[in-house]
Amino acid sequence: MKKRFILVLVLMVFIQFSACEKDDICVDGDTPNLVIGFFDAIDTADAKAVTLLRIKETTLDTTLGTGDFDRTSTSDSIGVPLRTDESNITFAIITDSADGDTEDEETGNIDTLRITYNPREEFISRACGFVVQYDNIAIELNTDDDNWIQDINVLQTNIENSNNIHVKIFH
Amino acid sequence: MSRFSISIFMLVGALTLGFAQDRPESPPEDNAKDSIEYKQAYGLRVGADLSRMVLSFTDENYQGLELVGDYRLTQKLYIAAEIGNEEKTQTEELDNIALYNYTSSGSYIKAGIDWNTYENWYGMNNLITIGGRYAFSSFSQTLNDYVIYNSDRFFNEDGFLPGAAPNEEFSGLNASWLEFVLGIKAELFANIYLGISARLGFLITNKEADRFPNLWIPGFNRVTDGSNFGVGYNYSISYFIPLYKKTKKKKKEEPEGSELQE
Repeated sequence: MKKRFILVLVLMVFIQFSACEKDDICVDGDTPNLVIGFFDAIDTADAKAVTLLRIKETTLDTTLGTGDFDRTSTSDSIGVPLRTDESNITFAIITDSADGDTEDEETGNIDTLRITYNPREEFISRACGFVVQYDNIAIELNTDDDNWIQDINVLQTNIENSNNIHVKIFH
Repeated sequence: MSRFSISIFMLVGALTLGFAQDRPESPPEDNAKDSIEYKQAYGLRVGADLSRMVLSFTDENYQGLELVGDYRLTQKLYIAAEIGNEEKTQTEELDNIALYNYTSSGSYIKAGIDWNTYENWYGMNNLITIGGRYAFSSFSQTLNDYVIYNSDRFFNEDGFLPGAAPNEEFSGLNASWLEFVLGIKAELFANIYLGISARLGFLITNKEADRFPNLWIPGFNRVTDGSNFGVGYNYSISYFIPLYKKTKKKKKEEPEGSELQE
């Protein structure tokens, strides 16, 4: 009788083992955003927020979400999403922005950045599945008569998370 | 986890069914005093796992078969083995959005020993065993479909973009593990046994593809992130083929509970 009882107990422990698994929640990773930090062109170690910043993805012609990227935001760094199914993306980065005459139109000093990269699919964990990470990030600034962006420095060409600044823009 | 509740249910059922039979007649009085011996059957027991058969019929995402066998070596020691083939398709979801869907398919073999800890009454042949196995599985995984998890909703307001290379098969995978087995076998009718076992596996080797890890291994079941342990079970029905008989040495004139003199 005692033996039987112990056996059932041990089996209960087995079931405890299997019932509760930590890998049901996705906490291990995400498709990263490209984090851009804005710095002073002269004193390059100083972070410097862009006045009335707006960022627009040119293919969709859509401004990045209004929350963090609100015009009045004085943040000196932002994360921008890249296309996971393409290897390039173009953003219009606008300073001193204002609403234009038509909806979605933005006025201000517009500088256009073309970002090229190699997307790479990566299995993160059972709960998260696949994400895309980016290799060989390169950024090209379209020059015009009046660039407010002075210089661009890619700090990190391979991006696996959004925890730190990947690209510095000096202005 | 309902199947585990069922397993407990059936376990308790089998315990009461199998072992709560009436105490059979004691050996004749005169035997008990002097000649103290009776013959026990030795031989081979072969069978199949019922749970895998039932699941194959009821679960459209599962196909599997496991054959079980053991051979009695001594009074308490058996060599035991299982051989099986399984195919299972699973979908991993996040908030009801399917993240990826994959099929694991392959065969396995497990071999080891069972040690019967149950003291049978005269004429009974039941077993409560602890045992160990070394197991090896050779299999493939196919990533049928998947999407790219991205919490940034700029390009896709709801849903995720599909991955670039669906239906990729990763073959030539294998794994080996050690298994701790707790089992019960009850003789239902002459030479017909119903058995239940619970298994705790510990992965030793695990050869996986670079792009997609082994999430489910035939014979081992689910592989947990950051852990080498896996759990399994089976419900076997088996037939005992008696090959020869051997006398069980009986304890001499035993006072209550003296198991030492065996």
